[in-house]
Amino acid sequence: MENLIKTLKEQIIEALNLEEITPEEINANDPIFGDNGLGLDSIDALELIVLLEKNYGIRFADPSEAKKVFGSIATIAEYVSKNRTK
Amino acid sequence: MASSIAITGSGIISAIGCNKKEVLHSLLNQKTGIGSMKYLESMHNHLPVGEVKCSNDELKSILGIDASKIVSRNVLLGAIAAKEALCEANDNDLPSKKVVFISGTTVGGMDITETFFAQMLQDDTFLPYLRNHDCGSSSVEIIQLCGVDAEVCTISTACSSALNAMIVGAEMLKRGEADVIIAGGCESLSKFHFNGFNSLMILDTERCRPFDATRAGINLGEGAAYVVMERAEDAAKRVTKVQAYISGYGNRCDAFHQTATSETGEGAYLAMSKAIQSSGLSIHDISYINAHGTGTGNNDQSESVALQRVFGNNVPKMSSTKGFTGHTTSASGSIETVICLLAMMNNFIPSNLGWGNAMENGVIPTMGETNVELTNVLCNSFGFGGNCSSLILSKEQPKLACGVEKRKWRVIAEVEVNADSDLSKVKEFIPPMEARRMGKLLKAATIASQQALNIAGIECPDAIITATSLGMLETSEKFLNAMIVEGEEALSPTLFMQSTHNTIGSAIAIRNKCNGYNITYTQGSKSFDWAMQDAIRLIEEGEANTVLVGSYDESAPIFNSFLQRLNEPECENVYSKCVILTTA
Repeated sequence: MENLIKTLKEQIIEALNLEEITPEEINANDPIFGDNGLGLDSIDALELIVLLEKNYGIRFADPSEAKKVFGSIATIAEYVSKNRTK
Repeated sequence: MASSIAITGSGIISAIGCNKKEVLHSLLNQKTGIGSMKYLESMHNHLPVGEVKCSNDELKSILGIDASKIVSRNVLLGAIAAKEALCEANDNDLPSKKVVFISGTTVGGMDITETFFAQMLQDDTFLPYLRNHDCGSSSVEIIQLCGVDAEVCTISTACSSALNAMIVGAEMLKRGEADVIIAGGCESLSKFHFNGFNSLMILDTERCRPFDATRAGINLGEGAAYVVMERAEDAAKRVTKVQAYISGYGNRCDAFHQTATSETGEGAYLAMSKAIQSSGLSIHDISYINAHGTGTGNNDQSESVALQRVFGNNVPKMSSTKGFTGHTTSASGSIETVICLLAMMNNFIPSNLGWGNAMENGVIPTMGETNVELTNVLCNSFGFGGNCSSLILSKEQPKLACGVEKRKWRVIAEVEVNADSDLSKVKEFIPPMEARRMGKLLKAATIASQQALNIAGIECPDAIITATSLGMLETSEKFLNAMIVEGEEALSPTLFMQSTHNTIGSAIAIRNKCNGYNITYTQGSKSFDWAMQDAIRLIEEGEANTVLVGSYDESAPIFNSFLQRLNEPECENVYSKCVILTTA
């Protein structure tokens, strides 16, 4: 799980162009949306859906379904480990 | 005395018919044009669409074009609708008049480019069709197919393009800058924007249900519509009956988000308010509203709020006709204007097809009415980037206030940014979280606009006018290349939402919270001249005290390699020029 979290952090930084942030600076349990965490928005949510489809073969039917998973990096990692097809 | 504007001809092609007669028949019989995909080639063919029920060859035969000739579907649709409008106007003296064709589109020649892109990467066979790629040249092709000698202007403000084309046309007529205007828009379905909307996850897998509690997104449609506009006094000399008068209009910006509308519906509220105010009518005079009503959760909620803000508890009878046509994006403003004309001339209100359940706090649409007299009709058209516009059609010729004396204008700031080394300055103006999505053109535009505004000592100009020849070329090319080379899955929504020409003007409006007039011109090397002409018009007529005009273009690697192979000059790396105009 630790490795998956680290990989996810790197993939998210790259996909969302978070140039000024390093993986070490992201707390896996911090919320990823809103001002108290990473500060991502609804377009980032769509990019995360693309990222999970491309890298892990996970598909979401609609964004609201995905939003439940996108609490923190840790919740994403947990979902990925259970549902990945690649 | 200012002139009022008469419509003396109109034409339409859409999923519910290839001309006005067929469209009227479908509207009266509540017959939708939305169905299974037949002509667009996409792996996402389970999604319903509103296609024009003709192959490209059939469209060519309507126009008498040889089937072997390669012509963009967008151009074919545009030419069919424009020809119908010109035929109705029946003006034999056109050659002696100053005629201007103003067309709204975002697809331009993309349908051809995407078809041959894979082959263009390999060999030179289809490379010359790249010359028809940009929106401006597709408009030139349309008016040439109509056999009319006209000046050409293209507007690209995403889904409000066609309505803005009519607004610009009306202003030009009032000021005597043209005698006859043919205005409207066209948009064929393209794999590019179909996949783009799909990447935003806002396409409904079923038929769209605007303003319904269960709505789940849009169905994309296609088509074109144009109107022939003249000064009322000129029209009175040659026709016995005009179709309707354009009595008011408003162009405003939501300045909230590139692809979402604000919960308060600010842009829509301001556009409708401006349209009503400029018409001299009261809210009680409006007998029908053709809503933008796309069927997305966001638009219909936001438009409901805006309608309630303008009309209070007395929202007039209203409906969205996207359940008939699908969302025809850049063409929707003129397609729905012609639907309004048909409704006014035939005394009916079109149904809000697909509706069945009231939204919480939403407006209740009408499911269609006959034997109803419509005196003043409001048509809404809203686009990405918050480009919101509204137009009012009236049966009676409006009484207009006397024209104001023209004010003088001057330029108070001018800034150019065209070096890569300057782009890091963007951090002086915006936080890294905002800058991270920006390519070189948006960075250059941000720097030039903010520097120019600083010099002028203005934070929020009254109007933002954008000129661009090829628009957001780098992001468009990345999206196109990914779609063709890697396939139609897992495409980036960020690239798509930054592919429309109005991305630049909207980004500035969002950054500086400018809710005023906002428009984008794209007519090759003439784009900047059109933009300046509009800016001067706004200041001279007292519609704005400060205007930001910008000219923006960039290169993209594959596009440049194509140009190289065509022995044509390559695009400049990045170019951004901003000018601030004010009253003298």
